[in-house]
Amino acid sequence: MNRNTRTALSCVFWAFVVYLFVPLILMIVMGFKDSKFIGFPIRSWTLDWYLGVFDDAEVLQTFVYSILIAVVSTLISVLIGTWLAVLLNAQKFLGRAIIYGLMILPALVPGIISAIAFRIYARLLGIEPGMGAIIWAHAIHNVPFVTLVVMARLSTLPQSMMDAARDLGADPLMTFMRITLPYLTPALIGGSIFCLLLSFDDFVRSFFLGGYDPTLPVLIFAMLRSGMSPEINAISTVALILTAALGIWAERSSRRLKRENK
Amino acid sequence: MTQFKLNRREFLGTTTAAGALLTSPIYLRRAHAAGGEVNVWTYNDFVPADFKRDFEKETGIKINVRLVDDQGKQFNLLAAEAPNPTVDIMTVAGHRFLQFIDSELLAPLDTDRLSNWGTMNPVFSESDWSTINGNKWGAPILSGMEVLAYNKEMVPPEDVASWKTFFSDKYKGQTAYTIQDMMSIVMLMKGYDGNMVEYLGDPDKAASIVAEARDFLIEKKSIVRKYYDSGAEVQQMFVNQDITMACAWNGPIAALMADGFPVGMTIPEEGSYGFVYTYNIANNAPNPDNAYTFLNAILASPEIGAAMTKASGFISTFNGADAYLTDAEKAASSFTEDELAGLKFFRAEANEMKYGLVDPAVEAIKAA
Amino acid sequence: MTNKRGPTTAKAISKNTGKPPFWGRVATSPTYQGLCALIFTSPRRQFLILAGLPLLYLLTQHLGPMLQMLRVSLMDAYPVAPGHEGYVTLENFGRFFNEPVFWKPFFRTLIFAAAITVVTLIITYPVAYYLARHVKRDHQMVLLLLVLIPFWTGEIVRTYAIMILLGNNGAINLALKFLGFIDRPIPFMYTGFSVSVGLIYLTALYMLLPLYSALEKLSKNVTEAAADLGAGPWTRFWRVTLPMSLEGIGSGSVLVFLISTGYYGTPVLLGGPNSTVFAETIAGFFHNAGDEWPTGAAFAMIMFVAALAVAGGLNRLFNALRKGDT
Repeated sequence: MNRNTRTALSCVFWAFVVYLFVPLILMIVMGFKDSKFIGFPIRSWTLDWYLGVFDDAEVLQTFVYSILIAVVSTLISVLIGTWLAVLLNAQKFLGRAIIYGLMILPALVPGIISAIAFRIYARLLGIEPGMGAIIWAHAIHNVPFVTLVVMARLSTLPQSMMDAARDLGADPLMTFMRITLPYLTPALIGGSIFCLLLSFDDFVRSFFLGGYDPTLPVLIFAMLRSGMSPEINAISTVALILTAALGIWAERSSRRLKRENK
Repeated sequence: MTQFKLNRREFLGTTTAAGALLTSPIYLRRAHAAGGEVNVWTYNDFVPADFKRDFEKETGIKINVRLVDDQGKQFNLLAAEAPNPTVDIMTVAGHRFLQFIDSELLAPLDTDRLSNWGTMNPVFSESDWSTINGNKWGAPILSGMEVLAYNKEMVPPEDVASWKTFFSDKYKGQTAYTIQDMMSIVMLMKGYDGNMVEYLGDPDKAASIVAEARDFLIEKKSIVRKYYDSGAEVQQMFVNQDITMACAWNGPIAALMADGFPVGMTIPEEGSYGFVYTYNIANNAPNPDNAYTFLNAILASPEIGAAMTKASGFISTFNGADAYLTDAEKAASSFTEDELAGLKFFRAEANEMKYGLVDPAVEAIKAA
Repeated sequence: MTNKRGPTTAKAISKNTGKPPFWGRVATSPTYQGLCALIFTSPRRQFLILAGLPLLYLLTQHLGPMLQMLRVSLMDAYPVAPGHEGYVTLENFGRFFNEPVFWKPFFRTLIFAAAITVVTLIITYPVAYYLARHVKRDHQMVLLLLVLIPFWTGEIVRTYAIMILLGNNGAINLALKFLGFIDRPIPFMYTGFSVSVGLIYLTALYMLLPLYSALEKLSKNVTEAAADLGAGPWTRFWRVTLPMSLEGIGSGSVLVFLISTGYYGTPVLLGGPNSTVFAETIAGFFHNAGDEWPTGAAFAMIMFVAALAVAGGLNRLFNALRKGDT
């Protein structure tokens, strides 16, 4: 590729990264402010907020709770989403448009509507508000995103590979397991990260379907009533660092796995 | 760290004088045998941490607190759970009473079971808005009011004597308010009853008043910087100097003042409206006896009231609570006699008519 | 790309145990073959099994809550006060069509969602392109992670961070004042600009991943072949890369558009008096005194149908574009 194009693209990329990170840096810095509110100027600094996060059992508990919900709901979403993607990728069949529409339904509905709809529906199904209900709602809400991402990837799978596998005597299930699935790995990883994000950050569904244990966004929203404080910023920073660490660990181990399999 | 900060984390903390907050009268000891739990929906810091710890120790009843952050959400939550709620005690803002009562979500309060009812200032506990259908429906704990908040370094005191300056071109692009709250004040400004109770029998007049207020706000739309919803937003706007004046609840402003930010608040000459947060018992609550025990315990002494004020910035309804506040806290939560004279309370009787007219007006203003 | 058979054969050889590899054992096991015989008897049955379970799931879990919502939108009141006889009514829907005051936020939201989609596409395409094509495979994951990490912050906290960035006394204004460029602060906040800054933060992710996914699999061979045939860089991009990434663009755009119509938190916090979004109107019915759930539900249905219609149109458009280029 052209040298200039590469430099230009590189600039756009890093400008984008700067745009993404500036609010983060502000958030981290504000966690050190010795005040009840965030904003400039910062007249005095303190470590109390950050240290306080690790002292606060409620916050730590909430954090673990949120992660647990995110992981479980992601596993469910990816399973269902991949199955749906495979289905929808098949050649034109009667009702494909309808299935597509049904699939994407949860993504269309504005958050608060979705949350209330799930709440009412949960009562119908007899699901009690609490962890299970939140996992259920998150899983369903995230399915469309997984499906779309997997479909995008699936559509580029060369038919020749599938034909070759068939010629070699593989049945569809075997073909799926050994060719399609490995090919989908980037989409699956991307979809999973998507879902983890959506679930961890979700507020409305967690609020309406939760029991007495809040998820992290619900807790923060309640704390917000007393104003956006450095304390909240400190909690969010710690949450970010821990989830980022998890993400990096996941990436490292997946890279190791890939290398082992080569 | 500021004086208003309540230490939520007790692991390294020492036992404070909070132990004295709860004497151990008979009603508590009886409850000890029952044990169990009480489920409370309330705002952050409305149940002081010290109180919670001591109550659980004294009675063996576990307090489960679920945080809500606004009345609408609380109503939705409760409505979705009715007729078998999971909650025992809720925090309803006084003027929302009727909505909850009409939907049969609250149980009337048996004040005979609350020996500490007298701790509360009768101005709040016996006022006309609190008795509906002959019953009391909630125990008032904190009171708030709409104030004209202003940046003391940028706004001279004479400019806040009246609400009219708030709408003048001098402060173009420097003000913020919540449209719904502002509507009541504009009606007051124009000499009408913002509660609309006076016009219950005259819907046409009510409609024309609302229309007048609406048109006024539409005319003044270019002056406002932001229509906001939550206290945190207006606080941030002051800190960021995006605004110099705001119509806000006194709680968030008091918190700003306690943090040292140069903001002041006043009730201008035309007056303003106030409301009261109450603890209510849910209809068909799972643990009604424990609910009464909890209520009676939290009404036990003015110190608890002061703790709630410290955390939230709102005024306690308990007699003598301000004896336990620091000077700064007292300054942030008191008004002159003249100002208080202009304060009216939100009344719920005409709410259906009022909000039936005001809500569409709010939409119209937003869309204009 | 390595031969898919290569690694497993190599593994088998390197293990040198003489035993067939895992998948070989599975394929030859009688349970598996029995299963296959059951499922794959005919294409029809194969399809039924593929589609059956998902369909059940979709009907009960995706459609179910919405049907319930539809039911609420047709009622006159919800929650139903005891002793009150509920009745079916269309007046909640009628309210939208009869009161023009709601149309402005409705169309404003649709147009704004479209604008955001386009802007997000323009911003994220180069980023995805750079990631997929110019960065070594090994580094791709790391950089992707770098880009993803900021999205892991809570929306509210991040939005307040944007407030203190753009505010009159915020980071940017303070810096500009310090450098002497301005005397009085520039009011960035509570404008379309501030809302965009906040929203693109959210939508970029939804656009980036499908784009990256699509661009990543594009083989360099194709563009090299085009270059060999004399195509310049711009031509290569316009006639080869762009068409082949249409699937990614399509799914990303549809996604971003749909989601943008429903955003509530960020536009409300960062917007000014003239940027009310429709989701705010809907939320109002669920929030404020009056609590008119059925009207809120009806409005939600209307927004949903409209968004679906546009999304369907977008999807058709992209499919047509793709077909046209093969």
